[in-house]
Amino acid sequence: MASNDEAAGRVRLAADIGGTFTDIAAFNPSTGRLHFGKTLSTPDALIDGIATGAAKADTTFSDADIFLHGSTVAINTMLERTGARTALLITEGFRDIYEIGRVNRPDAYNLFFQKHEPLVERALRFEVHERLFAEGEVYKPLDEDHVRSTCQRLRAEGVDAVAILLLHCYANPAHELRVREIVEEELPNAFVSTSHELSQEYREFERCSTVVANAYIGPRVESYIGGINDRIRADGFDGSFLVVQSTGGLYDGEQAQRQCIRMLESGPAAGVIGTQALCDALGMQNAIAFDMGGTTAKAGVIHHGEALTTGSALIGGYERALPIQIAMMDIFEVGTGGGSIARIADEGGLRVGPQSAGAQPGPACHGQGGTEPTVTDANVLLGRLSPDRFLGGEMELDVGAAEAAIADKVGSPLGLGVVEAAQGILRIAVTAMSHAVKAVTTERGLDAGDFAMVAYGGAGPLHACNIAREMGIRKLVIPRSPGHFSAFGMLFSDLRYDYVRSRFMRLADADFADIEAVYAELEAEGLAEIEKASVNPERVVIARGADMRYVGQEHAVTVDLSPDLFEKKDRAGIKERFDAVHDLRYGTCAPQERSEIVSLRVTVTGMLEKPSLEKIEQGVATPPPAAHTGNRSVRFGGDALETATWNRMTLAAGNRIDGPALIEEHASTTVLHPGDTCEVDAFGNLVISIGGPAS
Amino acid sequence: MNASPVKSDPVITEIVRNGVIAITEEMKSNLMRTAYNMIIYEALDFTVGLFTPKGETISIGLGLPMFIRGMAETIRAKLEHYGADNIRPGDILLTNDAYITGSHLNHLTFTQPIFLDDELIGFACCMAHWPDIGGTLDGITTDIYSEGLQLPIVKYQREGVVNEEIVDIIKANVRLPDRAMGDLRAQLTAIGTGERRYLELVERYGKDQVAASISDIMDQSERAARARTLSIPDGVYEAESYMDDDGVSISDRIPIKVRVIVEGDEMTVDLSDVAAQVQGFYNSGITTGHACSQVAFKCITSPTDYPINDGSFRNLNAIVPPGRVISAVKPAPMRWWMTFPMTIVDTVFKALTPAIPERTIAGHHADLVIGMLNGINPKTNEFYIAFIGPTGGGWGAKQSQDGVSATVCINDGDTHNSPAEQLEAKYPLLIENYNLREDSGGPGEFRGGLGCENTVQARADLMLNAQVERMHCKPWGLNGGMEAAGNTVVLRADGTWKEDYPNAKLLTARIREGDAFAVRSGGGGGFGDPRRRPAETVADDVRQGYVSVESAERDYGVVCNAAGILDAAATEKARSGV
Repeated sequence: MASNDEAAGRVRLAADIGGTFTDIAAFNPSTGRLHFGKTLSTPDALIDGIATGAAKADTTFSDADIFLHGSTVAINTMLERTGARTALLITEGFRDIYEIGRVNRPDAYNLFFQKHEPLVERALRFEVHERLFAEGEVYKPLDEDHVRSTCQRLRAEGVDAVAILLLHCYANPAHELRVREIVEEELPNAFVSTSHELSQEYREFERCSTVVANAYIGPRVESYIGGINDRIRADGFDGSFLVVQSTGGLYDGEQAQRQCIRMLESGPAAGVIGTQALCDALGMQNAIAFDMGGTTAKAGVIHHGEALTTGSALIGGYERALPIQIAMMDIFEVGTGGGSIARIADEGGLRVGPQSAGAQPGPACHGQGGTEPTVTDANVLLGRLSPDRFLGGEMELDVGAAEAAIADKVGSPLGLGVVEAAQGILRIAVTAMSHAVKAVTTERGLDAGDFAMVAYGGAGPLHACNIAREMGIRKLVIPRSPGHFSAFGMLFSDLRYDYVRSRFMRLADADFADIEAVYAELEAEGLAEIEKASVNPERVVIARGADMRYVGQEHAVTVDLSPDLFEKKDRAGIKERFDAVHDLRYGTCAPQERSEIVSLRVTVTGMLEKPSLEKIEQGVATPPPAAHTGNRSVRFGGDALETATWNRMTLAAGNRIDGPALIEEHASTTVLHPGDTCEVDAFGNLVISIGGPAS
Repeated sequence: MNASPVKSDPVITEIVRNGVIAITEEMKSNLMRTAYNMIIYEALDFTVGLFTPKGETISIGLGLPMFIRGMAETIRAKLEHYGADNIRPGDILLTNDAYITGSHLNHLTFTQPIFLDDELIGFACCMAHWPDIGGTLDGITTDIYSEGLQLPIVKYQREGVVNEEIVDIIKANVRLPDRAMGDLRAQLTAIGTGERRYLELVERYGKDQVAASISDIMDQSERAARARTLSIPDGVYEAESYMDDDGVSISDRIPIKVRVIVEGDEMTVDLSDVAAQVQGFYNSGITTGHACSQVAFKCITSPTDYPINDGSFRNLNAIVPPGRVISAVKPAPMRWWMTFPMTIVDTVFKALTPAIPERTIAGHHADLVIGMLNGINPKTNEFYIAFIGPTGGGWGAKQSQDGVSATVCINDGDTHNSPAEQLEAKYPLLIENYNLREDSGGPGEFRGGLGCENTVQARADLMLNAQVERMHCKPWGLNGGMEAAGNTVVLRADGTWKEDYPNAKLLTARIREGDAFAVRSGGGGGFGDPRRRPAETVADDVRQGYVSVESAERDYGVVCNAAGILDAAATEKARSGV
């Protein structure tokens, strides 16, 4: 057990609760050691899973002074539609905007298409008699009595949560604030959320969807966070309880209980923060964060040392998605994972995913009744996974079942041999995942070849060398404990508050005093939040940006702007930055065209002290003999090659392994292709140079 | 595409399939995000695609579903015009010839030939709608010459050198030259993206291998289309509908008759009996006549197969004689080309319903339901052109599903409306309401979707042009389902609404400060006898406000109060009495 003699020596504990597993990472500054634990998530008592995982990571709540938490509770409540009975109060005339949405029909030839399904039924959407002009002036004053009488109906309907969306509230929040006060007086037990607290950006449908989602998941997330807080306090925890947001930044547990929607994608975001931490430690400026699990693969980007974020996201499939208009890590996801099913489509083509065998029945090789061939089955058949060492030997893989499934469902129909079919499945999966990597690099104007790739998640290391080849990436890092990487990333997060406010103005005649006033207001809000937070940052960093476009355009790009551009009222400098960003992103810009500012953005970051990465034992170039666990035949391209297998846990820093090789650990296998070379760095990461021909 | 010397490989075929879809998606997103006009960036009134050297469609990124054929025909016309040998690396070909694209002059279509070394290996193409191409702002047109600038097939760029004279001609003819040039740049970005990414694909997998894969993809699409056509019982299926009028001869109905012949795994859509071309601007070209058949056919046989490619249509024959309203010849006016074809597509579904009721759909609102506005913005003193909509309306019910409410008509796909907060910040407008219309969905065992009402107040004087159809020919029900509300447009002056217009075409209507107009989209038709709709479902429709208490009783035989509390005895009596 760790000592708790001085504050400096206390443990930083991170818990990432996913659908299947709860991952724990703990950093003990007095020993400089990182500990990891993994347990099955226990749906009925998630907190027990954390405690069990913490024990596996050799720590307890009372040892820790910071508890960091990410969870799928928010996203699951939304996707599984298990949230509160929620009502919407909305500007008169706009009751249906949440149901109407943007009227688009992406599935354009499908007569059986379906729209997004609101989280609030029409009978619980009520209008508020008020109206502002776009400039924020009052067109129609707020009818407070009518709000009160509506509240009586809400009570009668047994509503637990209330979302408030009034048009143009970002220009003037007075009506939203007053409606909130009235609702809180009339329904003191309801969870109440106003749109401008979450987003001060125009687009009423998107903002409405955001505030409704927040209210809908609010009561459940509030009690979940409260429950964890009570339990860890009862177990002797007296430090700061911080929650990971979708930006990868942290906020206080108390804030998470109000602005629940901000923790929607905490797990995936934390993985990108982990990648950023590795970049810092290894001196890398640019990296792709690649996370592959059972059903999806996700890619994020570190560019010039910063994780790229975006101002909105769609939750659920595109056709039926509910938009969320808040800052999030910019992550692109494809429906390809280890469990993705390979099948022959109606018209005879070979498809891989997005259907997944999931955990049950799972891939055919799991021997739990699955008969559909999956990406994992292809890996097993090609020799890339050792059947007797999967999950540390806890599950014996059934090679015969994998072979039968691939032969029956893919090989025979296409007239391919079973090995050829397995290679085909793997290759299609790899190109599909490459599209995710392209989406966050080449489609943003970035050259993937300039990036290292950090691959994690259970299936990431297994496919990373293939994807790197496909994308022209030369350097790959497989972090220590790739299966715990999101929890690891949390240890490196900072307090972070993101603000945006729509303010339409042409750059040429923008009033700098007005801009400065908006920034000052947003920055003051962020500083106040940091002041209130239960942890003291080492220092505070403020970053400014603006969403800009050419006059006449709709879609704006976010431009990072240094404060001195505003001090000097440097319109030309701001324009130049915008032109450059536009050119990078789209390959064109128009320096002679007028531009305009749409929204002002501020990110206030409270930098926390970072754990130092733990070093592993130093060795020499030749790995210790005990690490070499055997040889097996593995297919690379057309050839079956005799391939050494290594136990990652017994490798030492400085060890070098040349491909072909399999480097195995509890829940992952790293595949080195012929020509690849791997060196174990001082921190236990596998640093791989991609060599040889394309796959 | 001809048989290729390289044997296709099912794995590479799948990789190429995913690859070409990704390329056209990226072309689409780059166009959208760099475009200057709302019709592109919100309405997505554009289509991008990749084509073989012969102009066959490899993949289309939508865009506009009804433009499924427009680009391929345009590329073929350009090939014929210059001859393949006279198309050189660095060329960019342009036209807005309405009789080639089949649509209107606003559709500027840019084509970039893709060369590997000196060999032409394909085309990247982008059609996008410019908000203004010159021509009159005053209501209906009766010939093409009053609709604006006509650019025949020209080389916008010749071996890397832009023809600045063409740029000058365009700038001299449009009202918003800056916007036009912004959209032009966005289109060049899109085709440039297509060229670059297609070359990457070809360099990665080899030109011949990619060609073999594309040939494979088309063959697969053909096989699927044939198998699904074979599952339709053989027969000759006919249906009729009509358009309200052509905007010139008010209230003169325009008959639409379609004939569908299914024989084995082939389908013929015969549009010979569709009305002759009309005097007002509702005509479209023969390309669109063919597109009507293709859209209906794809919806029935391969609705969710991608990429959209020409293989899917090899077993479709379309009979479209020239001179019909969907195969108009010069100088027919074409400005509002998109409206009539939608009703033709719906009429094909109606014809096929006796054969395959489980795969068709009742009539939908079949119009963009938009209001075109122009005026001077007092904030900037600048002339503006704006539009309200697409409003989104009701879609028809199906044999097993209710119709969808408030969704864009079949001409458009991933088209978005504009946020009120955006419109009000940009233009002198106040959106008074945007909501669903109670009882606008056609009653049925499966209910049609609801239409919307969008009321817009002018904060400064402006001019409205609304060219909306299908006020009288209401979206029909099928198999006992009832018809829905039609589309209408109405005006409010000095606080008084005027609603008794002979059609939904309000042209050159002056709206004064404080006055307003409302566009109301129709619903979708019902499917099946409304009295078979479960009473609890009808009662819930009433509770939600989708159906009124009166309609519940009259149309469904369900008696309940506004809160949706059923009167079971009265309902049983009402339903057994029929």
